[in-house]
Amino acid sequence: MDVGQQLVFILEGVPITLSISIISFLIGIAVGLPLAFIRVYEKEISFIVDAYEKIFRGVPEIVLLLLFFFGLRPFIPFPFGNAYFVACFVLGLRSGANQSQIYRGAIRGIGDEQMIAGVSVGFSKWRAIRHVMIPQVFNFSTAGLGSEYALLIKDSAYVYVIGLAEVVTRSLQLSRIPPGDYVTPFVLAAVIYIAITFPLAFWLDRWGNKRKKKIGL
Amino acid sequence: MTDLVMEAKHVFKMYGENIKKAEKIDTEPCIDKKHLVEAVKDVSLQIRKGDIKLIFGPSGSGKSTFLRCMAMLEIPDKGEIYLGNECLTAPGVDLNKARARIGFVFQHIYLFRHLTALGNVELALRQVLKLPKEEARKRALAALAEVKVTDCIHKFPSQMSGGQAQRVGIARAIARNPDIILLDEPTSALDPELTGEVIDTLRDLANEGMTMLIVSHEMPFAREVAEEMIFYDEGSVVETGPPLLFFNAPNTDRAKKFMTRIINRTTREY
Repeated sequence: MDVGQQLVFILEGVPITLSISIISFLIGIAVGLPLAFIRVYEKEISFIVDAYEKIFRGVPEIVLLLLFFFGLRPFIPFPFGNAYFVACFVLGLRSGANQSQIYRGAIRGIGDEQMIAGVSVGFSKWRAIRHVMIPQVFNFSTAGLGSEYALLIKDSAYVYVIGLAEVVTRSLQLSRIPPGDYVTPFVLAAVIYIAITFPLAFWLDRWGNKRKKKIGL
Repeated sequence: MTDLVMEAKHVFKMYGENIKKAEKIDTEPCIDKKHLVEAVKDVSLQIRKGDIKLIFGPSGSGKSTFLRCMAMLEIPDKGEIYLGNECLTAPGVDLNKARARIGFVFQHIYLFRHLTALGNVELALRQVLKLPKEEARKRALAALAEVKVTDCIHKFPSQMSGGQAQRVGIARAIARNPDIILLDEPTSALDPELTGEVIDTLRDLANEGMTMLIVSHEMPFAREVAEEMIFYDEGSVVETGPPLLFFNAPNTDRAKKFMTRIINRTTREY
């Protein structure tokens, strides 16, 4: 195989890498936002958030993947037991723990005054969060979210352990073709990772700066 | 009695960093309580429809805390707050509904930073009062016209001057047609130049018969519109009376001293 063919072969794994990282990023938003607000505004049950964050930030992704895929799969209802869903969920839940911390910082940045103003016009605490805080949270967290996304793309490399044909898996397959080339496939993989990591992180950062300028932060 | 808009009965509020700690060790002799400030000590107040009352006094004396207690933005430790006939300090009261009937204007304005002037005023009309889109828009525009900021309805708070922002803050408070508006030093975060335009707005509202409770040190304004001035110091009401009383001869020494200081300052400035 020449380099071009190798590149094409590895590139076929990009949709899986990309879609896993995007879906798990979205799951991370859905998990992380509520966790952050519970942590800040529901002090009585914030220990749950604490425990969640400790577990998902403290255990290596690869261990989580192995545990969920090989250990817990029999208990996961169809169709979510396949490798793809397990990968998305594990990475998403882990990202949720990270994003929760990013959003918590953002909530501090927005400041309690916005919350008080929201309550003063007649909102309940949770409706003030919905209408006043959440629209502002992302303005304050784009930098953190950009690096979180880059992290997710790199973490998606771990899913080769549960057999998904993504970039790393395909590079490994190429490297094992006799007589064995352990340089080209991995250099190609490295270049591909850089190419798909930075555009979104860059775009997020620029969007954030624009928003911040617009509302004057 | 039916024209009572708001009433505070023997309200107490402690304030301090160690408040939680102090609550916990309530059974033991409380060492921590000395860190607490009694921001509100047995304050009672009645406001009737159309009343304009002005609270003034040294900074740090608890005026703002009392005003926040009135709006139930802070929950009093003891005492009762009534809005009309409804007791807001009773358990089980829907405070969100009550707050929707009270307009609050903050010293540091606190406009929603992600929304334009129009959005700031519209938000509660749409989401709290649940008005249909066109009507909310109409009422928001009317409120903004009333405070004379029609030229910057599409600007974000960061793009407005302090005076414009505060007038939008007032529009946000009055757009819901509240029973009363509470204003916490609405001009003290502004330049003297910008103070004037906010005062003009408040004067207009006063002339329209809006019920207002204002914490302010704008003495000329107070003399002009307030029916009653309340001198507040160290957590309690020291003296109450019409502006004339305070400008001529307050009964208490503390009020006398404070008035001398503030009038000297005012004459220097104007």
